[in-house]
Amino acid sequence: MKGKKFFSMVLCFILALSLFSGCGKKEDETASQGQKKEEEPVKIVYARGKDTTGANQKIVEKFNELHKGKIEVEYVEMPSDTGQSHDQYVTVFQAKGTDYDVFDADVIWPAEFAQAGYVLPLDKFVERDGINLKDYMDGPIKSLTFKGQLWGMPKFIDAGMLFYRKDIIDKAPETWEDLYNAAAATKGKTEFGYVGQAKQYEGLVCNANEFISAYGGQVVDGDGNITIDSDGTRKGLEMMKKIFTSKFVPNNITTFTEPESCTAFIEGKSAFIRNWPYQWAMAQDASQSKIVDKAAVAPLPKGSVRASATLGGWVTMINKYSKHPEEAWEFVKFMCGPEGQKITATVGGSAPTLTSLYEDEEVKKNPLFADKNFVAGLSAAVPRPVSPIYPKLSNIMQEEISKYLLGQQDVNATVKNMDSRMKQAVNEAK
Amino acid sequence: MKAELEVKNEVKYKNKKKNTLSEQRRAYLMIAPSIIIIVVVALYPVFKSFWYSLFDLRLNHPTKDSTHLNYKIDLERYFNNYDLVSGALKRAVSETTGETKDKVMEANKKFLDISNTILSEKEVASKEKKVREIVFKFQPVENDKLKFAKISKSTAENAIQTYSDIMNSLSSLTIEGDGKKDIEKAAGLSEELRDSIIKPNFVGFGNYKYYAKDKSFWSSLGNTFYFTLISVAIELTLGILVAMIMNKTFKGRGVVRAAILIPWAIPTVVSAKMWKFLLDGQFGIVAHLLQKFHLVNDAGWFLSTHSGAAFSIISIDVWKTTPYMALMLLAGLQSIDTTLYEASAVDGATKPQQFFKITLPLLKPTILVSLLFRTLDAFRMFDLVFVLTGGGKGTETISTYAYKTMFAQMEFGRGSTLSVIVFICVALISIAYIKILDTDITGKR
Repeated sequence: MKGKKFFSMVLCFILALSLFSGCGKKEDETASQGQKKEEEPVKIVYARGKDTTGANQKIVEKFNELHKGKIEVEYVEMPSDTGQSHDQYVTVFQAKGTDYDVFDADVIWPAEFAQAGYVLPLDKFVERDGINLKDYMDGPIKSLTFKGQLWGMPKFIDAGMLFYRKDIIDKAPETWEDLYNAAAATKGKTEFGYVGQAKQYEGLVCNANEFISAYGGQVVDGDGNITIDSDGTRKGLEMMKKIFTSKFVPNNITTFTEPESCTAFIEGKSAFIRNWPYQWAMAQDASQSKIVDKAAVAPLPKGSVRASATLGGWVTMINKYSKHPEEAWEFVKFMCGPEGQKITATVGGSAPTLTSLYEDEEVKKNPLFADKNFVAGLSAAVPRPVSPIYPKLSNIMQEEISKYLLGQQDVNATVKNMDSRMKQAVNEAK
Repeated sequence: MKAELEVKNEVKYKNKKKNTLSEQRRAYLMIAPSIIIIVVVALYPVFKSFWYSLFDLRLNHPTKDSTHLNYKIDLERYFNNYDLVSGALKRAVSETTGETKDKVMEANKKFLDISNTILSEKEVASKEKKVREIVFKFQPVENDKLKFAKISKSTAENAIQTYSDIMNSLSSLTIEGDGKKDIEKAAGLSEELRDSIIKPNFVGFGNYKYYAKDKSFWSSLGNTFYFTLISVAIELTLGILVAMIMNKTFKGRGVVRAAILIPWAIPTVVSAKMWKFLLDGQFGIVAHLLQKFHLVNDAGWFLSTHSGAAFSIISIDVWKTTPYMALMLLAGLQSIDTTLYEASAVDGATKPQQFFKITLPLLKPTILVSLLFRTLDAFRMFDLVFVLTGGGKGTETISTYAYKTMFAQMEFGRGSTLSVIVFICVALISIAYIKILDTDITGKR
């Protein structure tokens, strides 16, 4: 009898504990909301994906200092998987939530968010404050323009790049074939020859896009028609599989996103890595990196047709239901203006969208940004399909290419499936 | 005398009947609150999901983001762009010359005509002033009753056609200089005006037909059944074993009983994250040890291949829910009368005989109830798959598929369809179990 009582007490305790663990966060939130009312300055919540460089923290601190007593920005981190942050934003905005006033959006989202009416068009602010959009690079501005209006400000621009260890590799490989041989030859020197991103998520589409385009394939043409079914696509995917199923990549490469591959590289485990420009700053950060001054950068290798890099980057948007659009705009203006972008470039290692910043001495300290070829390369980067149903198209590519890499279907079936499913999705959305 | 007694009896009988009637009514009254709660909490969401599943509902689509049975106009979107277009067109007329000017003027005339038709619709006219007031303050129109106005089918179709025409004719104009910007703006915003006209998006059983042909759906349904069947079968076997051990008296039994519940008490997301680290191909300790003892060829197998991921998901599910199964069965075991075992021992029954002739038959109702709970639970498996593989490696379950459809692709109509299908499957499984349970418990054959 006594044993039973003890047992039931333990049970109650566990149940109560699990209840509290569920509630804990909520209590904190309400507490901080209560405080908001007491404080004088207008509080803006700024959200973005996980930032390992600390640049955004700096921007927020600087801004808060400049606007002390008037505006206070609170910084919230979202998951590093862009798909997961996307879903979180959408859930909040669909409910007309005011949880985030300002947020960073992947360049693939503006069309969708604008069409759904989640974000504030910024034309009026831009005009009023006399911001010249010609100071910015063309590509990001284009991705932000939808139905004649501007829906955000470009924060930084990204393109896939090849980083390598200059103490191990003498010369950056010219073609993917060369890369394959060079990576295979590093056996014994580093644990892995090459790392990329091959988990079934958005990054897989970026990686695949580069291979497909390098071998002459194209996912979507200029008019939005699906043109993925081509020999170029097949060749590109075959090369991709050859690399990602080789002996010199980690055995669990199909679970790798950017943070995993970045960690492998800066811990000195890999000779090559395909990643976004921020990799440079990470490799030079002595507090985390074991390969300071040992990394070098090059454009991604060529396929049989061309060298190509996926265009990435992030833009900053304002929640349509934000209670303080004016203050939110002040922050956006600061962050995407020269001062904010300079911090993003020097601390965060991401490429500015303001062309004038490439002349800045401090920014030029990063050899990447001093290199004219790099800047030219950014404008040549291949955008991902621009479409309000982008998440659906991306999901189809992720599923099919993932199956192919795992050996569940051959290249012909993969391309045929993608072609028919994407065409169907586009037709339905019309 | 006799007659009198009969009358009395009749009265008594009548009174009794009256009593029972009102008692019945009172009984219904007593359970009314619970019936209301069941309707509100359980049935309403199901009906709502079913209702949504009949629509082509896409939350990120301007004209399909709520259910529409009639032709309507989104006044917020309309008035947000109306003045901009009319301004841009006016300026374009004065800025252009020659043939282009004629085209722009024609577009402008078409625009004014259709605007008049729309504005003269009864409901539009009555709401125009209020909506404009809100829109001019750059505020969103939060009240849906104000936001939408019914318009006739002919007006709606006419408007969609006209705005598309304006858009096409303006974007086909190729000019440089002054008018360019205004013409581009007018063309772009005409699309917004067109998207403010809403067509009914009722599709009947269209979404169900779509899924009947959708390969991803069938494979996710197959995966779900596969995971459910295997994991529940293993859990049951292990659960009976563990329950029988816990039923024995030994030192520290209470501690063991409490300790065994730990996997069950940890939230699934947390344990999934934990196992993800343990099974990681690079630094996972469990994966590493298993490789060292040559139980697997490659530590990366667990999370980066189809068979490995399926194995990991099933094992973690078993690890997590066997305690629950064991606890339920333990309760059943304790209700079996020990004298039965004593009697059978006297009769010379062996232990296996006791197990198959006494334990198992008497435990059957408990087994069925716990199987019912676990099957339904396993069928909705979401968090484990979401954390471990994100639905990749061919481990998509119906729940993760529904989540992706709803929250990543924002297709609420289709997502609701999937939810309804899950509901139907779950209902069928429960009915099957309850049928078996019923015959078993009441002994109906």
